[in-house]
Amino acid sequence: MFKQIFATYFLAILLFACSTPKQNISIQFKDYRIQQSDKKDSTLTAMLKPYSDNIHQSMNTVIGFSTKGLSKKQPESELGNFLADCMKIMAEEKFSQKVDAAFLNYGGIRSYLPKGDITTGNIYELMPFDNLVVLQQVSGKTLNQFLNKIAERGGWPVSGVKMQIKDKQAVNIFINNKPLEESATYTIANNDYIARGGDDCDMLKEIPVNNKGYLFRDAIIAFIKQLTKQGKPIEWKIENRITY
Amino acid sequence: MHRRKFLKETTLAGSALIASSILPFNSLYAAVKDDTKNISILHTNDVHSRLEPFPMDGSRNAGLGGVAARAALIKDIRQKTENVLLLDAGDIFQGTPYFNLYKGEPEIKAMSLMGYDAATMGNHDFDAGLENFANQLIHANFPIVVCNYDFNNTPMEGKYLPYTIVKKGKLKIGILGVGIEGKGLIPADLFGNTIYNNPIECANNAANKLKKEGCDLIICLSHLGDKYNDDKISDEILAKETYDIDLIIGGHTHKFFKEPRKYNNRKNKITLVNQVGWAGIQLGRLDYTFSKIKNKNLANSETVVIGGKSSE
Repeated sequence: MFKQIFATYFLAILLFACSTPKQNISIQFKDYRIQQSDKKDSTLTAMLKPYSDNIHQSMNTVIGFSTKGLSKKQPESELGNFLADCMKIMAEEKFSQKVDAAFLNYGGIRSYLPKGDITTGNIYELMPFDNLVVLQQVSGKTLNQFLNKIAERGGWPVSGVKMQIKDKQAVNIFINNKPLEESATYTIANNDYIARGGDDCDMLKEIPVNNKGYLFRDAIIAFIKQLTKQGKPIEWKIENRITY
Repeated sequence: MHRRKFLKETTLAGSALIASSILPFNSLYAAVKDDTKNISILHTNDVHSRLEPFPMDGSRNAGLGGVAARAALIKDIRQKTENVLLLDAGDIFQGTPYFNLYKGEPEIKAMSLMGYDAATMGNHDFDAGLENFANQLIHANFPIVVCNYDFNNTPMEGKYLPYTIVKKGKLKIGILGVGIEGKGLIPADLFGNTIYNNPIECANNAANKLKKEGCDLIICLSHLGDKYNDDKISDEILAKETYDIDLIIGGHTHKFFKEPRKYNNRKNKITLVNQVGWAGIQLGRLDYTFSKIKNKNLANSETVVIGGKSSE
């Protein structure tokens, strides 16, 4: 049966109120944990079946092909470059504007892409969070601070950026092959978690965010489908975007 | 088992002790026996499209939750209990591929089949747009209650209620809802023309109307979150600032409360807050027993006794 969690406290209060009728109220509470072994309702199971059949089928749908397994690594990895490029290209498409640089927090990548067929389910494992692709207009100075944070944390996936890590600081920074200018304004793409100051990225927190409710996971799936349509496999290289 | 027995005895002894401190125990007992009304409130929050149990992948929540098991449990409780109310505090949507593919349709259908009496809206219920949420309500046989979102000139216009009254047996239950501030949380293009109004003012106004309608119990479904470190409006603040809300069924912060929290409200009465985590892992239950005390010589009084349930 259902495992019941019994509460362990009790209190009694007596109150006086002139306007209300005399009343005694006693309250008891209980939490039921819904477990695998519990009996199932057949009506609900029947209602759900066409959806779940389709879901399981969709998760197993092959959307692309990877010539070799891609996994994450610091300071730079093939998987990281693939995802950061995907972020930049799909953000430009979704927001219809040029994006100077795109980023991903290293911890946000939760899995790897196996060699061979890539399914929708693989992408859900890779990116289970409902993180959104967002744009921010930042000064070169702020961008430098953000890149220093990336350096301090050992290097994150980047697109449109080339830099070196020296003493946990970003040096020799190039944005679109041009040296970073402190006074310039750059359009950067991030997931909303980082744009709102996650992973200690406080320098981004107060900067207005352009958000179209676009899930990064949906962007990855759409990007892979585009590649497949063009007859291209998922094949990405290390380009020394971030070096020590 | 011993602990449970001890608690049961403590509860009874405690009630008797307090009762006897102001009135003869016998007369209270007689009154309780005379006119008793019961309501069992079952509740969920932040189910986040978790229609199936968590997959059996060895993770912490593996095998937990799922609407088929929840429905069977609710059915079982309904067979054993006279007056049952089933409520949800929002974030019905988002979190599994079901939502990405079907945008909430099976979630709403499941809630209708389980016989939900009312639900409020969470921030993630805006995720596929307000028009989508409004469209999915075609599958709902229960009302969406929210009193502090003004949905005029949005697709939700005319498709929600600030509050509702549900009659169960001899009891009249008022149910209102409050939603969280969209700014910084809900993308502006999804929030659309929705106007966010102060939840405390709106909730107090709605609760006051429900009180005037003669409701025996007033429940607020809230997606404000239980409490915060700063002065952001929360269930805790609402509980302290309310006059007429007896119970706040909360959500948003995904907290598994060990027990309902109690606060002294503006009328110096008790307002309870409860929350049951997320994903439909747990179903919460609160059993209210109302007993009118008919001895006219006694001062007007209200006793609230809260104790863990000791048996099914």
